[in-house]
Amino acid sequence: MPSRRQFVTAMAVAAAGAAGHRLAWAQGTPAKRREVFIGRKRVKVIDAHAHLNVAEVANVVKGTPFERQAQTTGDGIIGPARLEWMDRDGIDIAMLTQQGAWWYNVQDRALARDIVKAQNEGTAAVVQKYPDRFIGMASMPLQFPDLAAEALEDGVKRLGFKGGGISAGWAGAKNLTDAEYDVFWAKAEELNTFLFMHPGGVNGQGDPHFAGRGALPNTIGNPLETTVFFSRLIYEGTLDKFPRLKICGAHGGGYLPSYLGRTDAQCRRQDDACTGKKRPVEDYFHTQLMADIMVFRDEGLRHLVAELGTGQLVYGTDMPFGWPVTPDFILNARFLNDAQKEAILGGNLIKLLKLSTT
Amino acid sequence: MSNRREFLKSIAVAAASVGVAGRFTYDVLAQAVAGRRQISIGGKRIKVIDAHAHLSVPAVGAVVKGTPFERNGNAAPNQVIGPERIKAMDALGIDMAVLTQQGAWWYGVPDRELARAVVKTMNEGTAAVVKQYPDRFVGMAAFPMQFPDLAAEALEDGVKRLGLKGGGISAGFLADKEFSAPEFDVFWAKAQELGALLFMHPGGDTGAEAHLRGKGNLGNTVGNPLETTIFLSHLIYDGTLDKFPGVKICCAHAGGFLPSYMGRTDGACVRQPDACSGKKRPVDDYFKTQIMADSMIFREDGLRHMIAEMGVGQVVYGTDMPFPWPVNPDTILNNTLITDAQKEAILGGNLIKLLKLSAT
Repeated sequence: MPSRRQFVTAMAVAAAGAAGHRLAWAQGTPAKRREVFIGRKRVKVIDAHAHLNVAEVANVVKGTPFERQAQTTGDGIIGPARLEWMDRDGIDIAMLTQQGAWWYNVQDRALARDIVKAQNEGTAAVVQKYPDRFIGMASMPLQFPDLAAEALEDGVKRLGFKGGGISAGWAGAKNLTDAEYDVFWAKAEELNTFLFMHPGGVNGQGDPHFAGRGALPNTIGNPLETTVFFSRLIYEGTLDKFPRLKICGAHGGGYLPSYLGRTDAQCRRQDDACTGKKRPVEDYFHTQLMADIMVFRDEGLRHLVAELGTGQLVYGTDMPFGWPVTPDFILNARFLNDAQKEAILGGNLIKLLKLSTT
Repeated sequence: MSNRREFLKSIAVAAASVGVAGRFTYDVLAQAVAGRRQISIGGKRIKVIDAHAHLSVPAVGAVVKGTPFERNGNAAPNQVIGPERIKAMDALGIDMAVLTQQGAWWYGVPDRELARAVVKTMNEGTAAVVKQYPDRFVGMAAFPMQFPDLAAEALEDGVKRLGLKGGGISAGFLADKEFSAPEFDVFWAKAQELGALLFMHPGGDTGAEAHLRGKGNLGNTVGNPLETTIFLSHLIYDGTLDKFPGVKICCAHAGGFLPSYMGRTDGACVRQPDACSGKKRPVDDYFKTQIMADSMIFREDGLRHMIAEMGVGQVVYGTDMPFPWPVNPDTILNNTLITDAQKEAILGGNLIKLLKLSAT
């Protein structure tokens, strides 16, 4: 299965790259904890996009076809190295989601349930150990919508999570807008919980047109997966059916927030293209859909702010994958005022998740 | 072959819409302008040039008759250039249109002679349209990219013999091949030698998969910019644009996603240096020099964003005529975020300069 192979390869490559990135930091910066100020005000920096692995999952998948998926070492395991990295960058709190979504392929209900239970309990243990540094997010087996709803509820109610991490594209030909997923969306809405969407790596994997330079399965495939995911939620009417859903998309929310116009414009020439939704496309991005700021260009960030509004944007790093996105990307943005910087770096999530401001 | 089927379907839809109460012309009707609209900015009459307009040449039907491509030879009535197209341009205030063939079905022709005959007929038909309306149209050559040597030959023939200003190119119909592969060097070298502008329009190959079905016509609205994004990414990251620095390509639909979302691949190079080892410059440099885009972004701040990332000199007005997108010149004229000079450059000034057209 090329997608999973690619995913494992990507993890290995990313791990190597991240190690190099940390090394570079270690040479030039002091080891003490950076405190980020805007003017004279100390602001809390929250990374909405950080990943973890839970070593205990290895025991659950041992002897199954998913044995290789479990990560017991490396910088996805949360410990002193991750805290040191956060300290150096000036990140106070990170919101932890499982990366990838390989467990969406598990066909056995009990095994799927056991995997996410182990992941979620492992995540909760990390939060318990470092309560002022991490926020936990539940994993869910979306191939079984009812189990996914159950895992989200368990994570929020029993384990104290603030929401869940979701991927798209690993559920075969199914779409998360299919009616069978209503049970999951209804539960997310009922719990008034926050979902962080991160692509699972299915788009572009194995497609020959993504081969070659540029790491295109990642650099195009990832935003593409998010674009399709958001497009379907909007145009199939899911967000209208569940108007209290709140979903943050990784990597600037994919292409759609930066290239918002085409599908609504399509409706001008093809009446039925937009019959599934009730509002102009930007309305969803002003209310239910959010995005992290991983667009890597000042002008890209300015455009995101113009289209979505500051209140829909949150700081994100993709840690431990070593992308160039320290808080300085926000702090140095000349087109943002101090209030906007504070909102993006942490204020928006403090408000949304009812976190302590200090 | 789902992509070709989709393409034919879209042609059929477009053709049908001509027949029903001017669906094609609703933007025109909205103008409520009789006769030819003349566009001015600050009292100065400016020439409006549409870089993104399509035509079909009915004579191709005779060439593909009796071949598996017979159905592709059926020219959609609204793509055949005649008084109706002129009327639509007049009402919108479009003075000139740059004409390319739409789709790229002929990239699937495996026979060299047939491929050559198809594009020869297309190009001679395009030249005939330009000859009939010399002040209204600029012609662009079609070429068979499945045979790079023939593609180079057709481009040269189009430019030198037929007076075309460049060529129209698509991606994605050549199975596993990318245009950054060495076998296409002969084509890029010729385009560079001729100093010909290329207009890239997706052929409709990407996006024909399950997750793009349903509402929103995502096969088009996501699939088209995706195809362009992959096309440009290979030319940049595999080093083709560095190898042929004289190549100039204007891409449809605001150049796909890349001009609006430019940072991620260069961002990846920080953690994976090998990803960028094929290119020599920062990604924006290619968009400030060799890559252009049409203005079909449909959002005020989207256009401002493109100008900020590429420079106004790289952005040109485009409509996708006869496909009726909401992109009449007022979408540029009424944009509150750009200056008059920028509006003039986008609406025509850039192409007048680049293609050495008459300014009046």
